[in-house]
Amino acid sequence: MTVVIDTAVVLDRTTPMAGAVELVVSHQSAAAIEPGQFFQIGVGAAHTLLRRPYSAAWSSRSSGRVGFIFNVVGAGSAWLANRHAGHELDLLGPLGRGFDLEGDGPAVCIAGGLGVAVFPGVVEALVARGRPVAMLLGARTAAQLLPEERFAGAEVLVATDDGSAGHHGSVVDLMAATTPSNVFACGPTPMLQALVDEARRLEIPLSSIQVALETPMGCGVGTCLGCAAPRRGGGYLLTCQDGPCVRAERLDWSRMTDAFHG
Amino acid sequence: MPSMADRPDLSVDLGRGLRLRTPVLVASGTFGYGFDAPSVDRSALGAIVTKGTTPLAREGNAPTRIAETPSGMLNAIGLQNPGVEHVAGEYEPTWATWDVRVIVNVAGDSIDDYVTVARRLNGLAGVAGLELNISCPNVANGLQFGVEPGLAADLTRAVRRATELPLIVKLTPNVTDIVAVGKAVEAAGADAVSAINTYVGVAIDVRRRRPMLSRISGGLSGPAIKPLALQAVWQLAAELTIPVIGIGGIRTASDALEFLLAGAAAVQLGTVNYVRPQAAREVCDGIADYMRIHGFQALRALPLRPSREVARV
Repeated sequence: MTVVIDTAVVLDRTTPMAGAVELVVSHQSAAAIEPGQFFQIGVGAAHTLLRRPYSAAWSSRSSGRVGFIFNVVGAGSAWLANRHAGHELDLLGPLGRGFDLEGDGPAVCIAGGLGVAVFPGVVEALVARGRPVAMLLGARTAAQLLPEERFAGAEVLVATDDGSAGHHGSVVDLMAATTPSNVFACGPTPMLQALVDEARRLEIPLSSIQVALETPMGCGVGTCLGCAAPRRGGGYLLTCQDGPCVRAERLDWSRMTDAFHG
Repeated sequence: MPSMADRPDLSVDLGRGLRLRTPVLVASGTFGYGFDAPSVDRSALGAIVTKGTTPLAREGNAPTRIAETPSGMLNAIGLQNPGVEHVAGEYEPTWATWDVRVIVNVAGDSIDDYVTVARRLNGLAGVAGLELNISCPNVANGLQFGVEPGLAADLTRAVRRATELPLIVKLTPNVTDIVAVGKAVEAAGADAVSAINTYVGVAIDVRRRRPMLSRISGGLSGPAIKPLALQAVWQLAAELTIPVIGIGGIRTASDALEFLLAGAAAVQLGTVNYVRPQAAREVCDGIADYMRIHGFQALRALPLRPSREVARV
């Protein structure tokens, strides 16, 4: 594993959807990123200590650029949201295991809320492999949906909690209309749990579902053991080393914790 | 007058032949077993202190295991480790080929547990010493070994008999009188003490109205505890004859120098390893620069007031 600690320069800061920020940075590791991998980003907010883990939203081999999409949930992300073109960022990564994109047939990507942040690069890579891709997007309200054009080549289906766009209800409800050979999921733990329940009902094998986990994280490299996720059969996986992208069958869904990290 | 090109002598002797090339160690639980940390220049390290190791493998606590707090973090990992057989069979042969020394941190539920680990590691070329985590509860009576001088001494004495390895006892600050515990383990045969382990703390998730950690309380580390750690080190260095290894919130060379000036013979970097894996190199270089600039040729000249150790040398 080649892990690089390096400075990245912010090239652009935009608002990709309501309540979210997208930072585009120039980074030497851009070409080496697998969709679903993450970086530990150093934050300079007063009285904070740990780096913050963020999945790369996308990366471009040709331009050497990496995008991160996030919302403000605490002091660290608030500091990060105040970075602008020309600012430097301290990046450790890329870290962890990305999604395994191997396979044939239709791929379904399903995102709840800010879980969408990992998918622009995943969809791009799947489309590049010539696979039919459905992107299922869930948000509280229409304004919080990442625009459809970020998923070029994919069929985009939408669900909102308030019914302001697409299906009125959970994004998981959209699974019934799909016939995936692989599922790629990211979102709050209750949504992932609902997805697993729905997959069982639809007889979609859990071995065909990969989830990108989000847990509190200390080091990001396997030393602090802070990012434990319950493993099927007992014990724990480490989100940072065994994940963040893991097959749903490897997790003990009865013991999953809805973890929060600011 | 040494020239600027001279590198001061950074080596440190922690007793029983445990001589380290630099006074900068990495603390237990912040460096795994030395295999995972990224791009680290090991040449700056005096030693790696491993994750706490028990006789049998442990799965650790249910999540959530960590939470950030102001200038610190709480952890309740639960001694997740692969057990001493795995450590001796899989890790130790590799350590024996490294040029950095490895000190195994030992934990357990009973004196027998500690003795079992110590016996298994005795005589292995890749193990340079043991550090006893005495913050563990003794299942026999529920009391932590480290909170009662007599119990801490019994444990130290039993492990001392089980191994010829240099023995460091890591003191818990969650006590009324840390010096009394330090003196007790010194008398029982400890070659050095390390101080301090984490402070017990709690953080509450106001949004969800529940504790942040699944175990409710956890160990507080990071810059938040540095002045508390310095207080403990200052007291211990004045009262003990054996070397004191300072631990607690060190991020920079300046932080490390505070501990060395307070009387520590060496320091351990902990939480900072999660944030800046290159910190040990920076701290080591910074200590050398300071010594060069201020004309110190050896570490033992640094303490502000002579401890008994320094007076003896």
